Amino acid sequence: MLDIAFRNIKRQKTRTILTVLGIMIGIAAVVSLGSISQGMNIMMEKSFELVAGRIMVFQGEGAAGIAGMMTAMSTSEITEEQIETMISVSGVKDVVPMSMYMDTSVNMMQLGWVAIGIDPVRLNYFKGENILMYDGRELEEGDSDVAIIGKDVADKYNLEVGDSFTVKEADFDIVGVIERSDIQDIDMGVIVPIEDLKVLLDKDTYQMAFVIPEDVKDTEIIAEHIEDADEDLYTMTGKEIARQASEILDQISIVTIGLGAIAAIVGGLGVMNTMIMAVLERRREIGVMKAIGATNGMVLQQILIESALISLIGGMIGIALGMLGAFGITMYAGGMLKAVVTPVLAVGALAFALCLGLVGGIYPAWKAAKLDPVEALRYE
Amino acid sequence: MNKGNRYIVKAENVFKVYNPGQENEVKVLNNIDFKIREGGFLSIIGPSGSGKTTLLDIIGCLLKPSSGRVFIDGMDIGKLDDSELARIRGKKIGFIFQQYNLIHSLTALENVVLALRIMGKSKQEARRRAKSLLEMMGLGKRLDHTPSQLSGGEQQRVAIARALANDPKIILGDEPTGNIDTKTGEKILELLKHLNREKGYTIILVTHDPRIGKYSDRIIHLIDGEIVKDGKA
Ligand SMILES: Nc1ncnc2c1ncn2[C@@H]1O[C@H](COP(=O)(O)OP(=O)(O)O)[C@@H](O)[C@H]1O
Ligand SMILES: [Mg+2]
Repeated sequence: MLDIAFRNIKRQKTRTILTVLGIMIGIAAVVSLGSISQGMNIMMEKSFELVAGRIMVFQGEGAAGIAGMMTAMSTSEITEEQIETMISVSGVKDVVPMSMYMDTSVNMMQLGWVAIGIDPVRLNYFKGENILMYDGRELEEGDSDVAIIGKDVADKYNLEVGDSFTVKEADFDIVGVIERSDIQDIDMGVIVPIEDLKVLLDKDTYQMAFVIPEDVKDTEIIAEHIEDADEDLYTMTGKEIARQASEILDQISIVTIGLGAIAAIVGGLGVMNTMIMAVLERRREIGVMKAIGATNGMVLQQILIESALISLIGGMIGIALGMLGAFGITMYAGGMLKAVVTPVLAVGALAFALCLGLVGGIYPAWKAAKLDPVEALRYE
Repeated sequence: MNKGNRYIVKAENVFKVYNPGQENEVKVLNNIDFKIREGGFLSIIGPSGSGKTTLLDIIGCLLKPSSGRVFIDGMDIGKLDDSELARIRGKKIGFIFQQYNLIHSLTALENVVLALRIMGKSKQEARRRAKSLLEMMGLGKRLDHTPSQLSGGEQQRVAIARALANDPKIILGDEPTGNIDTKTGEKILELLKHLNREKGYTIILVTHDPRIGKYSDRIIHLIDGEIVKDGKA
């Protein structure tokens, strides 16, 4: 039956191609849009490793979640006194004040690097011990006017140990390159001693601080105590960020995959239309098949195989195209986002294509199965 | 080789009404009653609209009678469901039509293979049998031709090969020579006669062909849905 199905769909080439195109575009949309949210998911998960078991502290108006965090980054000013306050909260092991600087002359999508100021001794609280150096050395106590850079920065600007990097008119000697971590803030980071960045930014204050608890279990309680100790500080823990991020991501997923799904459903209607026409054209043929012994079930199956075939072909090309789309999105985003077509997404998209074919095919298949052979054979 | 002792078709008080109870009700068959012996060659003649095709469709299990009973090889077709009827069509009956009704996208060989595949034969077995049937029909050199590349007579011989595919008991033909020139038509009738005499297939033809007397051993004359004459040719 499969070989006949193949031959049947080849009979009206143009129509079949158009129908395949419809499914293909829909599935390509599902896959490429889906790859954005999948990529965001993976990126977020990686980023949580940065905050897992520690507390991010900002100064200023709190509350507004991740979006608020972004604005807080630029306006937050934490004083030395406030750092002392944090240290004095019981259960706190260490406090890592940090500052950041971004080149605001380029747009977000083209953003190539972020300067991060940190106490060299406390570098590993930010980077984590598991992530090693690709080349050169880490920052050391007493370092000044030196930087270690993330792998993306090194690759993008073709830099290696011994070169220098300019942050806001100041040159830093590159003493190390960090291995790829897949954590964006590290891979895109230009990490310099905090004192250097304070001078460069002409500020006595810090933008944020990582508070490291003695015991990870106390993270949430310590966060509360910090906010209690100074009304002007607010905190975010990994748990909280994860919760908010997954809410946002879920919404993004629904919107993007939903948009793709609408496109694909339109493709499914195309399959239905094509199969209805095919059944009309082949009335006599279906009548003959029944006259020579085909049951209603066989006729039903034959039409369903044909529509499934069309949609699977469309689905497979669509997935390939969607992968290309994901690649294009990644290129365009220039490091901001890596769109990923996960196996789950690809298999899901193919299953979705198959469903569209079967759902689109069921009505014409049913019509064909119910066709009265006498009528069909009489019909001139 | 007339077996002659068994009835392969029995019709008892068969009535057929299209659109019963509606405005466009048509009473097509009126108390039809006959028996056909296995191995016979029966022709049904009569004016257009007299119900010949309807009767043939009932014998071919494509239609059920409105009342009365029809037995095919001993089975009461009124008691069978759709898929059982389909099975009988596939196993016991071979159809040939005036318009041949071959599938145009398939070659001669594939048309015959399809009939075998529908009845569950394996691919290899179906190909082997289809090939030998077509060779028997003198179409050994036409296996890969599509219907549009074949003459009317050749198409009808492909259709006969398809009808024989599953070795049926009965071959039903609705004006099988209607679209074919006289000389070729005669050859088709001779072929059917040969199948009847040598292989024992029961043949039932609806026809206008005046030469039919030469081939049939019995002719039923139908007018307005009633049998007005039934006898030896
Ligand atoms: N499906 C149908 N619905 C209504 N009337 C029909 C139908 N099929 C056939 N008829 C009518 O039944 C009569 C007999 O038709 P048919 O069996 O085809 O006769 P024949 O083959 O002898 O010409 C005709 O008057 C025809 O118009
Ligand atoms: Mg007729």
